[in-house]
Amino acid sequence: MEYNGSAIIAMKGKNCVAIAADRRFGVQALTLSTDFKKVFQMNERVFIGLPGLATDVQTLYERFRFKTNMYKLREEREITPSTFARMVSSTLYEKRFGPYFCEPVIAGLEKDGTPYICTMDLLGCITTPADFVVSGTASNQMYGMAESLWEPDLEPEELFETISQSLLNAVDRDAISGWGAVVHVITPERILTRTLKGRMD
Amino acid sequence: MSDRYSFSLTTFSPSGKLVQIEYALNAVAQGVTSIGIKATNGVVIATEKKVPSFLVDDSTMEKVSLICGNIGMVYSGMGPDARVLVDKARKSAQEYKKVYHEEPPTAMLVKEVATVMQEYTQSGGVRPFGVSLLIAGFDDTGPSLYQVDPSGSYWAWKASAIGKNMINAKTFLEKRYSSTMEIEDAVHNAILTLKEGFEGQMTESTIEIGIAQLEEITTKEGKKEKVGRFRKLTPSEIRDYLANIA
Amino acid sequence: MEVLLAIKGKDFILTAADRTSARSIVVMKQGEDKSRALNKNILMLYSGEAGDTVQFAEYIQRNIQLYGIKNGVPLSTSAAASFTRKELATSLRSRNPYHVNVIIAGTDPKTALPELYWLDYLAASVKLNFAAHGHASYFTLSTMDRYWREGLSLEEAKSLLNKCIAELKVRYIANLPEFTVKVVDKDGIREIDL
Repeated sequence: MEYNGSAIIAMKGKNCVAIAADRRFGVQALTLSTDFKKVFQMNERVFIGLPGLATDVQTLYERFRFKTNMYKLREEREITPSTFARMVSSTLYEKRFGPYFCEPVIAGLEKDGTPYICTMDLLGCITTPADFVVSGTASNQMYGMAESLWEPDLEPEELFETISQSLLNAVDRDAISGWGAVVHVITPERILTRTLKGRMD
Repeated sequence: MSDRYSFSLTTFSPSGKLVQIEYALNAVAQGVTSIGIKATNGVVIATEKKVPSFLVDDSTMEKVSLICGNIGMVYSGMGPDARVLVDKARKSAQEYKKVYHEEPPTAMLVKEVATVMQEYTQSGGVRPFGVSLLIAGFDDTGPSLYQVDPSGSYWAWKASAIGKNMINAKTFLEKRYSSTMEIEDAVHNAILTLKEGFEGQMTESTIEIGIAQLEEITTKEGKKEKVGRFRKLTPSEIRDYLANIA
Repeated sequence: MEVLLAIKGKDFILTAADRTSARSIVVMKQGEDKSRALNKNILMLYSGEAGDTVQFAEYIQRNIQLYGIKNGVPLSTSAAASFTRKELATSLRSRNPYHVNVIIAGTDPKTALPELYWLDYLAASVKLNFAAHGHASYFTLSTMDRYWREGLSLEEAKSLLNKCIAELKVRYIANLPEFTVKVVDKDGIREIDL
């Protein structure tokens, strides 16, 4: 978990959710890339953030992409975030005695538009809080930021500001995450995606 | 050594037919009639319960089976073959629940069962199933009724009949069916359809009825929620319906 | 102690690998080529556990060549990198994983687009503008950070590579007398002198 470094956060808003991640890829203290993808879009309304060991981030993304594509073809419908979370959980627990080193964050809108966020541990145990979730090497710092900035019923733009500030200021106190960020705000109408510059040192 | 080879028994006849499947359909056509009707707010499946001798304890016989919370099925044809399919369908439903923690949509369950039935028309050392199935379920898309045949082909129906009396029953259903019918009417019509060509006395112990509809449940968090549920009618409920007919 | 370097240029990738073959602290020989051509336009540099390296590199090389023969179309650089990553990732969770770090450098023969992928033995794959494996990364990445820019010419890239190697010769404890330097461009792979 601390080998490559990462920070991912998701928040609920009023009829919207947001998910954000840092962009660093490194090997321990050595930074190699600042455009590494850790948040992935599974469909119009479901995103997953995969913090942890970079190789497992990539392997898991490939597996989930495969599984959601197959789900869509088989069931002729899009997977909802809560069902997707169960699927991710099952996938992780399958490797109970040789786990993937990754603690995913899932954010999305249900079929009726209700916001959904959750996180789970590397074995697939799901936690579903009412406000925000954090995961990765800067999670302690993100808890502090989100705890003081988040409030209920934020509109998309307010939510964007809250999640961005929570992430950006958290990673500045973590040596192995940061170097820019990407934020997605999911609303029933559209998805707002912005890449942010952070302290690039 | 010879057990290394197992050729499919189901092979094409020169005219392009799979006679084994036609024989299987004959077995179904000799089976006891089963009826299914889709209503606006639910589905009903019903069948006749025939015992070979009055010495048999008919309270232990079960032809309408619960597959999972929201899906049930009934068969016409060979009982033992149907039992295998019920087992496979239940297992498949539990496997779906294990991955997604929710009940499978009716169409998915039907697809799984149909796949099993198709495999038995092409695999080596096996014969096709001597049953047709009516599968009733209630999911996010509402009520649905499917029929699956020994070949593995399946269709969604508004109302259908399988087994011995299916032709007459279907004609009867075509006359009685209405797209605005609600579940109580559908049960009523299913019983009437069964009554056509029913041999002997129709009582709560000689027919079986299952319905899929929305029911209110209390979630783990204590919230009331309406979800699709399949359940069999109790003998006393059936008695009430029968009383209305006579 | 092994050094793999690569720099992306305008329409080529310039790579360098040391030529030392060593067992523990003993140098066994010079003149080892730590790279394999995956096809005409893709080069893979490798370092890591002796034995694993050549075995893995040639396994990838032959499978990618087989793909070319089967389909009559060569594999693209990104596809070759994905394939290699998948093989490494599968190997990682097997009973005896390969311990091989690789750099995949390729230039599309039609568009002359150069692509550079960095993969470690854990099978993390990243697309980079310049790459280094091993201790060398601590000595050379800062130099490349300072002097690399989009659209380097071959001469500029060679001069940057020279700066990196010079830094290694001054500051790195290991004795690295020789390097194999190769260029991958749309015309293929060729060895050059710095």
